[in-house]
Amino acid sequence: MKNLLITFILALVVTPAIAQQKTPPPPGAARPLNLPKITEKKLANGLTVVLAPLPNVPKVTTVLTFRSATTASDRQAHPGIAQIAAAVANEGTDTRTSKQIKEELRSMGGTLNLGSDADSTTMNATSLSEFSARLFDLMSDVAQHPSFPETEVKLAQENTIQQIRAGRADPGFLVNERFQKAVFGDHPYSFVVPDEKSISALTRPDLRAFVTRYYLPNASHLIVVGDIDVDRTFAEIEKAFGGWKSGTVPPDDNPPVPKREKRQIYFVDRPGSVQSAIYIGNVSIPRKDKDYFAIRTADTIYGGSFYSRLTRNIRESKGYTYSPFSNSNTRAKTGSVMTGAFVRNEVTGPTLLEIFYELDRMRVLPVTDEELSAAKEFSTGNFSVELASQQGLAGRINTVYTYDLDKNFINDFRPKIEALTAADIQKAAAKYFDTYRAAIVIVGDWEKVKDQVVPFGDVTIYDAEGNVITK
Amino acid sequence: MRRLIVICLVMVMMLTSTVSRSPVAHAKPLNIPVVYYKLPNGLKVVISEDHMAPVVTVAVYYNVGFRLELKGRTGFAHLFEHMMFQGSANVKKFEHAKFVEANGGSLNGHTDFDYTNYFETLPSNRVELGLWLESDRMRSLDISEENLKNQQAVVSEEVRVNVLNQPYQFFEWISLWENAFTNWNNSHNGYGELSEINAATIDDVRNFFKTYYSPNNAVLTIVGDVDVNEVKKMVEKHFASIASQPLPARADLTEPPQTKEKRVSQTDKLANLPALATGYHLPPQNSADFPAMALLVQILQGDDSSRWYQRLVKEKELTLDLTGGLNYFGNEFDYTGPMIMTTRTTYKPGHTADDVIREMDAVIADIVAKGVTEKELADAKVRYRSNFYSQVEGSFGKTHLLSALALFRDDPQQINSLLTPFENVTAAQVKAAAAKYLVATNRTVIDRVPEAKAQPKSGQ
Repeated sequence: MKNLLITFILALVVTPAIAQQKTPPPPGAARPLNLPKITEKKLANGLTVVLAPLPNVPKVTTVLTFRSATTASDRQAHPGIAQIAAAVANEGTDTRTSKQIKEELRSMGGTLNLGSDADSTTMNATSLSEFSARLFDLMSDVAQHPSFPETEVKLAQENTIQQIRAGRADPGFLVNERFQKAVFGDHPYSFVVPDEKSISALTRPDLRAFVTRYYLPNASHLIVVGDIDVDRTFAEIEKAFGGWKSGTVPPDDNPPVPKREKRQIYFVDRPGSVQSAIYIGNVSIPRKDKDYFAIRTADTIYGGSFYSRLTRNIRESKGYTYSPFSNSNTRAKTGSVMTGAFVRNEVTGPTLLEIFYELDRMRVLPVTDEELSAAKEFSTGNFSVELASQQGLAGRINTVYTYDLDKNFINDFRPKIEALTAADIQKAAAKYFDTYRAAIVIVGDWEKVKDQVVPFGDVTIYDAEGNVITK
Repeated sequence: MRRLIVICLVMVMMLTSTVSRSPVAHAKPLNIPVVYYKLPNGLKVVISEDHMAPVVTVAVYYNVGFRLELKGRTGFAHLFEHMMFQGSANVKKFEHAKFVEANGGSLNGHTDFDYTNYFETLPSNRVELGLWLESDRMRSLDISEENLKNQQAVVSEEVRVNVLNQPYQFFEWISLWENAFTNWNNSHNGYGELSEINAATIDDVRNFFKTYYSPNNAVLTIVGDVDVNEVKKMVEKHFASIASQPLPARADLTEPPQTKEKRVSQTDKLANLPALATGYHLPPQNSADFPAMALLVQILQGDDSSRWYQRLVKEKELTLDLTGGLNYFGNEFDYTGPMIMTTRTTYKPGHTADDVIREMDAVIADIVAKGVTEKELADAKVRYRSNFYSQVEGSFGKTHLLSALALFRDDPQQINSLLTPFENVTAAQVKAAAAKYLVATNRTVIDRVPEAKAQPKSGQ
């Protein structure tokens, strides 16, 4: 081995002593943050249009959000319909076949995908900016005239069922599914995937009726970010979307979310697992709640950044896991706080112990000034980076309109973060990092880790399909 | 705020296709400013000003990846990447992350076939912090037994979460490479066997650092809202005094030509559905066939309109998905040495791998016989250009391409003419590339089926 030999010779070479700077260099003068000018307009049919020029590359990035089409919409009659409608809407319109749509997108260097969640259905589309008019035309067609061809519906039903079966082998899928159910109970927010019967029962008329009822211009907004000219782009949008008929906005089907009452372990048995996939969390706050910034910042310090307490503890100090994380996820009616870690079987119990220790430490003691100031810089600095990309900016603006936030949200972000005190953080943590009523979800090999798990609470055991089982 | 000026010249081309006549735009070449020079110690430096946002990315790319690991030490290049966050003379263990995040930034590192990179994106007035941090670890990495043990545990968990506890266990990378390549440097498991990751010693870490982490084996790239002249001074201050080191002779990465098709069958303890992966050896990046092959990859599997996707997922309803591309982890420019085009697809129960292969082959046979349409090729070029713009949209994407071009071609200026060879590809070249490279004797096929087990009950 030639390499090895040279390596040994090199190891004998001594690095010369050189003066090197011992302390971090101070920052230079801050450069100005010139936020793109955001223009809001409305079409006669009620569609809100928001335009933000960001000509970093000759592309456009758009989000069309149907605020009425949520996973709660029509859920009694047709569970899962929002998700299947979103999956099949771009597989054919009254005038375009699925293949024509895909080929048209390719010719624009474009993409167009729909997805639904608990608060809306979104159509995300991009193209080269020179083709923006054609992109808007296609988006408008998909929004208004999806034809749900029988063959496409049938294929989507079959494939969705198979994809869910495939997903049930993946610990990441299983832990998330069980976590949403544990935290949100019977609320529509607990929805992850429909069951096979619900998928199979959907028909083409159901899907068409759903779109007619819930994809409405007067309950939608279109965000366009990129290499655009505001007036010319708006004219293109008016031409493409002007004929979309408004309708009666159905009532909001999302009820309030019940609070959890006790700590409980939800164990999904996956024999043969060499790790335990752990999610721990609880119900938190709606997106518009006044505590949004405090929880967000508490989360940054606790587990939401790389230099967080959680990572320093269970990764850098103990070596239990690769990439522990936490998040504060807020939605229209409520949200969740969550901690995640994938750890080898042998340290399942010790990991639970450390997670609860770190959560409780956030509740019981104030964070240090150094931690708070670092978290503020982290949030505001990365916010600026996010706004510099078309996707990032479009996503932020979409949040403002989906959750009806103050239109100054983007400009107010920095001052609101900077105003937080250590007492604000502790108060929010004490209230929402509720370890007494936490849901503990673990996907792993029950026989191998059960002794480590039972000291932490009552256990319900499930199989991968979601059936309660006894062991 | 300066604007990236890209004027698109729209040329209406009369195409022979019967599908439609579409305006095909040819963009004026991108104009990304590039300053490129070398320090006397051999460090390559790339600086590109971009004043769209008050942000900067600082990155160091080292010319070492999985392929240069030694036998008995699979996964070592990646384990070493972790050690680069364990402290240096003036930065304590893991404080690299603290400095970057407390200054409003984000950071990461990545180990690939042929490079390992370290990068931080920061508010642009903190650019010198990034340079100081990178210089401190390049000059004086702190290597301790305790930290090595800690990161061996962390990396072992990374391998468990991404490979060992997953259905399919990353077979479209790890198993495919092990079977498609014969030269150990190319074929071995780059994520590493747990036993070999944990066998690494402190001397291995020291030697690897000494051998590969010298300024003359690296590129330093700075992209963002900075002033070139100011940054040059900072680079001089922090990097010029780091000593260069003699570099070992490059390992032999050549791969003997494949002469027979390779077929492998595997069973999977965790998966519920069967899956198939294929790999075809690609021509070298500097060969005349390469641009045509890259567009052929686009036409075969670049998006939902592609030939394989349409055939397998839509027309024949054989498979659930289709993913893959020309370089499993990256793009056309960020590797050196032999590469395969990969494809991975989950197929439906009731079908066999042969059913899938037969349809993939039928698509190839059609291209070999009739070629691709002018419209298809023109669209593939538009798609290619659009993907390229997305890649260079942010400071990190630009940093990545510039660094790869400096590292492997010693010419980051190429970023402004990168699309040209692809724009010039003809339909005849695509057809010829299909005939030459998409043959059974040039491929490896892995069929991975679930181990027989009791059928699950349905229900929620």
